[in-house]
Amino acid sequence: MRKVGLIASREFVAAITNKGFVIGLLLMPVMIAMIAIAVPRMMRGRTTPLRGQIAVIDVTGLVLADLRTSMTPEAFARRRVENTNRALAAAPPAVRDAAASRGEAVERTAGPLPELRLVERPAHADVQHEKAWLTEEDAAARHMALVVVHPDAVVPAAGATTYGAYDLYVASNLEDQVEDLVFDSVREALVTARIRARHLDRGEVDSLMRVARGPSVTVTKENERPTNRNFNRVLPFAFAGLLLFAILIGGQTLLTQTVEEKSSRVIEVLLSAVSPIELMAGKILGQMAVSGLVLSLYVGMGLALLTSFALLGLVDLSLLVYLVLFFLIAYLVYAAIFGAIGAAVNEMREAQALMTPVMLVLMTPWLFASAIVADPNGTFSTALSLIPPVNTFAMMVRLSTTTPPPSWQVGLSVVIGIASAYVTIWFAAKIFKVGLLMHGKAPDFATLIRWAKAA
Amino acid sequence: MEPAVMLRAVRKTFGKTTAVESMTLEIPRGGLYGFIGPSGAGKTTCIRMIMSILFPDSGTLSVLGHASALEAKDRIGYLPEERGVYRKMKVGAFLTYMARLKGVSAADAETRVPGLLEAVGLPGTATKRCDDMSKGMLQRVQFVAAIVHQPELIILDEPFTGLDPLSVRLLRELIVAEHRRGATILFSTHVMSNAEEICEHIVMIHQGRKVLDEPMAGLRRQFDAHTILFEPLVLDADPAPIRALGGVEHVEKTGDGYRIALSPAADPASVMRAIVAAIPPARIELARLRLEDVFIRIVTGGGGTGTAAHALRAGLRMPDTEGTLV
Repeated sequence: MRKVGLIASREFVAAITNKGFVIGLLLMPVMIAMIAIAVPRMMRGRTTPLRGQIAVIDVTGLVLADLRTSMTPEAFARRRVENTNRALAAAPPAVRDAAASRGEAVERTAGPLPELRLVERPAHADVQHEKAWLTEEDAAARHMALVVVHPDAVVPAAGATTYGAYDLYVASNLEDQVEDLVFDSVREALVTARIRARHLDRGEVDSLMRVARGPSVTVTKENERPTNRNFNRVLPFAFAGLLLFAILIGGQTLLTQTVEEKSSRVIEVLLSAVSPIELMAGKILGQMAVSGLVLSLYVGMGLALLTSFALLGLVDLSLLVYLVLFFLIAYLVYAAIFGAIGAAVNEMREAQALMTPVMLVLMTPWLFASAIVADPNGTFSTALSLIPPVNTFAMMVRLSTTTPPPSWQVGLSVVIGIASAYVTIWFAAKIFKVGLLMHGKAPDFATLIRWAKAA
Repeated sequence: MEPAVMLRAVRKTFGKTTAVESMTLEIPRGGLYGFIGPSGAGKTTCIRMIMSILFPDSGTLSVLGHASALEAKDRIGYLPEERGVYRKMKVGAFLTYMARLKGVSAADAETRVPGLLEAVGLPGTATKRCDDMSKGMLQRVQFVAAIVHQPELIILDEPFTGLDPLSVRLLRELIVAEHRRGATILFSTHVMSNAEEICEHIVMIHQGRKVLDEPMAGLRRQFDAHTILFEPLVLDADPAPIRALGGVEHVEKTGDGYRIALSPAADPASVMRAIVAAIPPARIELARLRLEDVFIRIVTGGGGTGTAAHALRAGLRMPDTEGTLV
């Protein structure tokens, strides 16, 4: 055990004093910052406004006047503010406050206002003929869409209770956004025209229609707190990401250091002092300390952030206990595999071929995370959380959703995890023993299995 | 006291290749053994089995009284043929690490390492990174790593490979010094002149089998007396009378003289007297023992001529890969 400790501490020191490690450590916060800052900026619509013409045939003759006001830049601006406010109403208070203080930034993110010009066609124009207009080239103004208002759009047909709407014909290569803009504009114009036709008061109808969304309060035994759906949605991904990243950083270092020991021929010198199993145990424990360090740094950072936004109450701290437990199990499984691959190959290039399937398996739960969050207690989620080696990730994701799994499933997943870790380590140790002194041809999976049988 | 190393009928195969066959060997405590044979003879496989890095298919072995070297690792110093260092570690830190893995306390390791570095001619290099050392210097560092814990048994696999003649001499002195300290030493080499100089006992191995297991002193008695180097006073003297002498097996022209191989039964003294009587000598002497000759004689079962012997000699010298100092 003393030797295992010595090896582990050397591994740990060698790993954390490596430049690559420090870079890797900073990589995740940088990636998150990039996603939070850069991506919305890149996705922010357009830098030039949408410009073009929308032709309208209004057989009712009752809608055009309203369309003229509902398709102006001022109307677009007003609707955009309304939409933003509606979205923000569902966001946590802290985010709402932050957004309110930067109304301008929200405005900027959405891009410049569209400049759509209304082209009024005669009420009895031939639709077929007008459609041809959409395919005409016009360098000055794009022919974007043709709106044909139904005859019963404002006043229902005799004996009917439902209203008609409109037909929309669009040019090819049209931005999706235009259809939304046209719909919003036509809808506003039609509603105004219908209200006028029924001699109702617009203001009254608006207030009749308006229902403020009530605040949702989550009630627990300890306290009551505002329900935070967005945060709840992000949490499972955060936990899966933490688990994945912590395992990758330790596992990768384990792999590269083992390959390096082999290629620099220091391995046999070491084997004169320790047994292969002691060496493997020391290396796995050393890198576990590295991964654990990374994990606690990130969790600490996350908790500090939540505290500063006064959102700490949203996290069930028992999740952290599960995080540590599932980290230990998942790490042991993957570290054993990474170590065995490192021992089997002669150089990193050869490791890539063996790594690809492992990485695919490692990424699987991450790919399925959305599906698990959507239905955490469905058959698919339950199955995934019981199948090694993805069970640890899947169960962590399920645990961090708003509807955690029954505790017997958690227990079963832990037992399955421990059993799979045991089997993996047993198998990896055999490959490790044989592989360390093998030089020459790069092994494939068949060779590894043969070695395991021979050992 | 039980021997330092004991192998009984050990056999090891890799797939269809038999690397070691019926290997029985006993190295007493305090011995200085040379394990010699051409590349691929099975030396490294034997050593790895002694070190419990490989395990025999059949047969038994014991190391320092244990069934496996794993139980006595801290009492064994091992310099493998495939050896390396942590390139990014400092020399001192690497040696301290190795010493601690071998059970030396941190304090002892710290004090012992600088002294040993000085002994191998590398004073003040403890703070250098292994990266910054030359290959020859690293070989010496690795030797220190093998002896830093003052082991009872030292096993060196091809320790002279890749060394310049001066380093070879230094390493030989270090090996002798460790032997004098009381350590049992087993080293392998395919360059036999290295073994001739320092070994007390020779084990020859060829195609996985032991072909010789003799003390150097006995070898000298057994093989020395059977080759005579003769230089006639008159250079173009006819060697026919020598060939005709009883006990002479083979006469070979060598530069200015002849190399005369005797049959095992011949009495060298009377043959020498007869040669001198037949042809006036400029110089006549018994040839100094060359392990290479012994080996080839055993393996080819004859006087060491022919293409098979020639190929063997080439494999035993390989001056490009191993420096020799004669």
